[in-house]
Amino acid sequence: MKIDRDEARRIAALAHLEFDEAGLERMAVEMTKILGYIEMLPDLPSAPSQGGSSTPLREDVVHQSVDRDAVAHNAPRFEDGFFIVPPVIE
Amino acid sequence: MSDVLDLPFTEAREQVSPAEYLAESLRAIERQNAALNAFLRVSDSPRGAFPLAVKDNIVTTEMPTTCASRILESFRSPFDATVIARLRAAGAGIVGKTNLDEFAMGSSTEHSAFGPTRNPWDTTRVAGGSSGGSAAAVAARMVPAALGSDTGGSVRQPAALCGVVGVKPTYGRVSRYGLVAFASSLDQIGTFTKTVGESAELLGVIAGRDPFDSTSSAEPVDDYVADLERGVRGLRVGVISEGLDKLSAEVRRNFDDAAGVFRRGGAVVDDVHVPSITHSIAIYYVVANAEASANLARFDGIRYGRRAAAGGHTSLQETYFASRGEGFGAEVKRRIMLGTFALSSGYYDAYYGRAQRVRQKLRDELAEAFRTHDVLLTPTSPEPAFRIGEKVDDPLTMYLNDIFTAPANLAGVPAMSVPSGFTAEGMPLGLQITAPHFGERVMFRAGAFFEKETGYWKRRPRASDRR
Repeated sequence: MKIDRDEARRIAALAHLEFDEAGLERMAVEMTKILGYIEMLPDLPSAPSQGGSSTPLREDVVHQSVDRDAVAHNAPRFEDGFFIVPPVIE
Repeated sequence: MSDVLDLPFTEAREQVSPAEYLAESLRAIERQNAALNAFLRVSDSPRGAFPLAVKDNIVTTEMPTTCASRILESFRSPFDATVIARLRAAGAGIVGKTNLDEFAMGSSTEHSAFGPTRNPWDTTRVAGGSSGGSAAAVAARMVPAALGSDTGGSVRQPAALCGVVGVKPTYGRVSRYGLVAFASSLDQIGTFTKTVGESAELLGVIAGRDPFDSTSSAEPVDDYVADLERGVRGLRVGVISEGLDKLSAEVRRNFDDAAGVFRRGGAVVDDVHVPSITHSIAIYYVVANAEASANLARFDGIRYGRRAAAGGHTSLQETYFASRGEGFGAEVKRRIMLGTFALSSGYYDAYYGRAQRVRQKLRDELAEAFRTHDVLLTPTSPEPAFRIGEKVDDPLTMYLNDIFTAPANLAGVPAMSVPSGFTAEGMPLGLQITAPHFGERVMFRAGAFFEKETGYWKRRPRASDRR
């Protein structure tokens, strides 16, 4: 699978990552090489599902949560109980 | 031996007071950290009965947790990871947080935003990765024990390259609550110590069900120290044939000698085939990156972590792109890109689906091998520690270092690396012992026997501590 710069740009948009043009070009070359290696995987038929184990659920009860001030302390901007962000809509 | 840090902590803590033990550790860090860059942060007043170092992707309340990433440079967790809470209760004093490849993505600790960790046996070489800081800290006798995380070999490979014991328990054996997630179906917290017995003791403390991690297992915690002195007479030991053709003559000879130690101890040693091991790197770099691309979506500069300066970014969307663009390093971006691609519409089955099917085949083959064997042997790493800078610009060559370690993560089985000797240049090598699910007890039994017969753990590196 050859990844060109436009395909790298499309994936970067999905991944929310910013690259300059040189960065995109480098990413395209490296991804092409790594995907070439990955493509050596055999294409096996699906095995019948063996059921497997399910994730146990815990009781739906209220517990003491972590301290809100300690959480807020890590936020780049936090005021009056809210995370402050740039405009979401124009 | 005069130096208390040369002893297993199980002996050392009987010889010195807790305060002296911690002070001795802090002095050793002070002497060597400038040369090794094993610690990103050191505590100024640790409390406890024995010193412990913690990889900086496991959260602790008294020190920041950076994951060696710019994006988390100033993050301080409001809670302790479950392993930290358990170890504190058992007397551990956290002396510092150790260096790693950013978000545990790498095999050399060169992908840290805060510079590489250097190998205590030769400071021009890597310490391995991603838990390179923890491995170097134990090898250099800065601490008797350290925690790491292992997603594709990140405890075992640096343990081998630094000449210490590194353990990856069964998936679900140890709670992941408070371990910053990389690949959730592969991640497991593990231990570094000088000796097998110390790791067995530490695992006994951190193992067990945790209501905060729904993937932690309710399987009863075994007595890991019970069989340490039992020897290997009658033990069925399989030597995995795949991958051995790629080893240098020196590493191959070391591995053959290791198998011979088990044979002489009365174990039944024979060859076993696990053909899909040759695909493990390809499977791993699809599955791990796919999971990483989802797990790392949370780092967006809004609730915690670095937010890009407003500059020209006027919308929320632009803030995401800029914060992630400047906060993540090159290797993390590469893996997020590969993972996003493998999960994207039109490619999902050709990459992710295909990798999961081969992963299942690998699991089946290992289960089959364990029907007739108690433990399986491979080298931990195909080569000893390489030079800093040698592979950092060639991601695929770096990835191939995980060939022997990734299978245990993909199958969820426990595996450990035990020091197996030295190259002619004096660099350590490691033997990997893999056991079936929840077979840690027999893994420690085999490891303890090998260690007792060979005694390599007693040799101490001098490159960073010439006193």
